[in-house]
Parts: sequence; structure tokens; C-alpha cells
Amino acid sequence: MTERWFPDEMPMPAASAETMGWWEAAAEHRLVVQRCAQCGTTRHPPGPLCPHCRSSASQWRQLPGTGRVYTFTVVRQAFIPSLSDRLPYVVAAVELDDSAGARLVSNLVDVDPAEVTLDMAVEVVWEDMGPELALPRFRPAPATTQGRGR
Amino acid sequence: MVTAVTTTRRAACVVGVGETRYAKWGGITDASEYQLAVQSILAAIADAGLTPDDVDGLASFAEDRNDATFMAADLGLPELRYASLSWLPGGGGACAALANAAMAVESGAAEAVVVYRSLCQGQFRRFGRGPGNLPARVGPPRVPHVRRATSLLEAHVAFTMPFGMFSPPIAYAMVLQRHMHLFGTTEEHMGHVAVTTRAHAARNPRAVMGGRPMTMDDYLASRMVSEPFRLFDCCLENDGACAVVVTTTERAADAPKGPVAILASAQGALHGFGHGQYSNVGMPDDDYASAGARGVAARLWARAGIGPADIDVAQIYDHFTGLVLLSLEDFGFCGRGEGGPYAASGALAWPDGAMPTNTHGGSLSEAYIHGLNHVVEGVRQLRGESTCQVDGAETCLVTSAAGVPTSAVVLGRR
Repeated sequence: MTERWFPDEMPMPAASAETMGWWEAAAEHRLVVQRCAQCGTTRHPPGPLCPHCRSSASQWRQLPGTGRVYTFTVVRQAFIPSLSDRLPYVVAAVELDDSAGARLVSNLVDVDPAEVTLDMAVEVVWEDMGPELALPRFRPAPATTQGRGR
Repeated sequence: MVTAVTTTRRAACVVGVGETRYAKWGGITDASEYQLAVQSILAAIADAGLTPDDVDGLASFAEDRNDATFMAADLGLPELRYASLSWLPGGGGACAALANAAMAVESGAAEAVVVYRSLCQGQFRRFGRGPGNLPARVGPPRVPHVRRATSLLEAHVAFTMPFGMFSPPIAYAMVLQRHMHLFGTTEEHMGHVAVTTRAHAARNPRAVMGGRPMTMDDYLASRMVSEPFRLFDCCLENDGACAVVVTTTERAADAPKGPVAILASAQGALHGFGHGQYSNVGMPDDDYASAGARGVAARLWARAGIGPADIDVAQIYDHFTGLVLLSLEDFGFCGRGEGGPYAASGALAWPDGAMPTNTHGGSLSEAYIHGLNHVVEGVRQLRGESTCQVDGAETCLVTSAAGVPTSAVVLGRR
């Protein structure tokens, strides 16, 4: 049982052959990043080839689920009607720890938007959308986990 | 026996521009988007002193609903010899479409190519209004699994849309937030872009916002859309079309309004830029809080053989005020991080600023035609026809959208 922060009318993800593995891991509440099996370069979103060495061999690297706010915006317009009673909400790019700099677009939840700053430490919290689909959101990390694993 | 063959390099130039009326979103109901495209093309061809019988090429850029093959048949072109659509997304491709037309003419593939754009947002989905690439579901129960994507784009926006990054202002607000963090750019800096271009629009009878003066207080009082972008940081959404005719300088000898030269063009994206509209969060740190146009700018100036100091007037793509600041930085009008103070110095204002910018009012205040109207205004400046005419203007930089793979041209008076 997880919380629900966004309305049911939000768009749901669709996956390609390259990205399906990421969503399968997410369904198990595992935050992963695609990593080149040859040179170790990470890439996100997942793709068919390492842009660095052009190897097509890849692995899913499991991440600790912590990171820092790279940038963000506080959204104050309801781009779909059912968001109108959820405003404002925060969209952020989170630079994920242990990922060699991969950034994930997500939301910051359980936080006053006025308190959000760049470089704020955050941790993943999963929102189950159904038995085979979960979305990672982020909330401020407790002090004990801050700064770990950079 | 050897026969000497003399070849003269064919040079492309702009000989005609045209547009329909521009109206606010949903303001045009008596003509379809396609009909407006046709109207603007005919106006541009007439402006060039040509007829459709002289035209053998058509060029546009991404996401164009108004297919060139239909257009060629409906215009009654005697023979379509060139048709292209730039892959550069959204507003990144207006200058690329012009460049592609020029390359077609210079290669001899075609004699006269029309570049066109029609955008009737009142007749189609409104860009700023929520998810368009993923279907929004209606009510519970939630889909319990991940669907198979039907396009690369659909799989890509799965990493943004479910998190409420629906719309360009949200994605680019994040770019400006980081620029503010790194360089101290302020809301007032962005406000200078909005207020200055609105003042330019006041002189332009075509401008959608021509009758709506704006002060800095008005700007600061406009509602917040996605911090730090207010409503007045965002370009218009509207109805209208424009077109540009490109041909050889040889043919241009007969053009009633004379030729405007395409001195140089460049297009593309740096490595690591990302896949498109919403993926720039993955850009290298040095590039993220920028227009992403450093590579295009370097190649453009090298090809033109001139630099920003030689430019008399600029038309800078303005989907959002803040990205104008970033483009001014990338194209070298000011240093990295200095776009805000540069705008605040009055540099962008006609007639006395250091670099009068968006003298038609831009996408913020004239019309949002994916930046092809910026090309039209560049041509008008070099013909001496602008409503904010820069005296003796001989060079104009025109850029396409910042924050996506993009393009730019330098236009000149010959």
C-alpha cells in the first residue's frame, strides 16, 4: 500500500524494447540505470547502443534510490483538469547517486514547494499504479542518508 | 581535345515573403490551417514577382500537418523537383528548412523553393494544454501494466509525462531555474525580454498583441505558470501562416523587391544533447543551462566569415523569454551567464539598443508560427520594410528554437 499523490487521469507510460526492462524493475520498486557492459558508461533513458563505445551489451545497475535535485520547477497551472486541486506540484530532475550522473525526471512529494532547493538530498518513494506498474517519486532524504554514495 | 567547362556557383537568396493575418488562438474560423498555408504561399510567391508555375520545391520542418505532396498538387506546380521536412523538432527547424531550400537551389536540384508554416492551434490541440503524446486515461481502474509504445517518442515521453512534465513551459522552466542558480539571472531580466518585444509589437499592425502595451509591473503581475515562468514569459498560441521563397541570385535579378542573401546557415545538435524536446535534462552539465546552440553558433559564424559584432539586428526564437537570454549567450552577443544583465541594459530595444532583437514582436507578441515569422522579419529588415526598421541594416541573425536540436541563418543585403 503506497500513497497516491497524483490523479488517475495522469498519462501512463508506454515502453519500447529498450525501455521495458527499466519499467519492469520499477514495478518491483527497484530503481535502476542502464549501464554499458563494455565500458561502464550509464545512459538514461535506456537506448539500444552505448553512445560512448557503441556496444549494444548492457546491464541494469541497481541504484540506492538517493540523489540530489539538479533542477526543478513548481507547476502552478493545471494542464489537465483533475490536477487543479493538486496544485502546486514539483517536477524535478534528480541526479541519481551511484549512476555516474544520470538524471531522472520525477516529482518531489511530501515537501513544501517553497522549501525545495537545488542540490537538496532526496530519496525515492514508490507509487504503485497497479500490480505491474510503479512510478518513482522523491522526497527529502532524512539527515542520516544525506551525502551518501556520491 | 579538352573542353573547358566553366561553372559558376549558384547562390541562393530570398526573394519573397508572405503571411496571412495573425489572430489569437481560435481567432481564424473561416479558413483551415491548410488553406492558410496555401494563402501564405501564394502571397510569398506574388511578393517574389513569380507564379506557382515558377515554383518546383517545397520545404518545411517537423510536425507539419500540411504535407508538401498535397500542397504541390493543390498549388498546381508543373513539376515538384524537391520536397523536404527537417527532422529538427518543433521550432528548431525553421532556419533549417530555409537552409535546406537554399541547398536545393544551390545544388541545382530546384529553381525556386517555398518554405512554409501554418499553425492553427484553435483547430488542433493547444500545445501548452497538457498531454498530447500519451493518451490521458479516463477514470479508474488504473492500467496495471506498461503498454507497448507505438513510437520512439511515446517511449521517450514515458519518462516525463507521467510525472506531470506535460508541456514546454515546464521543461524549460527547469532550464531557467538552473541558469538562475548558476548565474543569478532574475525574473526582471526575463521581464525585459517580454516588455521590449511587446513595445516592438505595438508598431507592427500584424502583431496579435499589438494593441496590448505591457509594463514591467504588468509582467510581474501576470500569473505564474511553472516557476520561474509567468504567463508573459510564454509565447503566444495562435492562428496564422507565413512563407518564404528561395531562388538563385540569377533569377532574383527580376525580383521586384530585390534579393536578400542567405550568407550562412548551420543546424544540428552537440553530442549528448538528448533525443528531443523533453530530454535535455540529460545534457552535459556545461550545456544544460544554455540554448544548446554553441555548436550551431560556431559553425554559423565560421561559414559567414563574420561574428556577432558584425550583426545589425537579430531575430531570436522566443518560445520563452528566458531562452532568448540563453541564445544571446550561445551566439556570442554577451558572455556565458550574462544574458540577463545584457537584456536589462536595454540592448534588445529598438532603435537605440546594442542589438535590436525581435523587431516584429517575436513569438511573444507578434505571432507564434514556429519562428518562420522571424525569417520573414529578417528579410523585411534587410529590405528596409520593418515597422521597427534598423537604419541601414545589412546583416541579420535569425535563430530557431533554443533547448532542442536547432538551426540558424545569417541574412544579408546584397
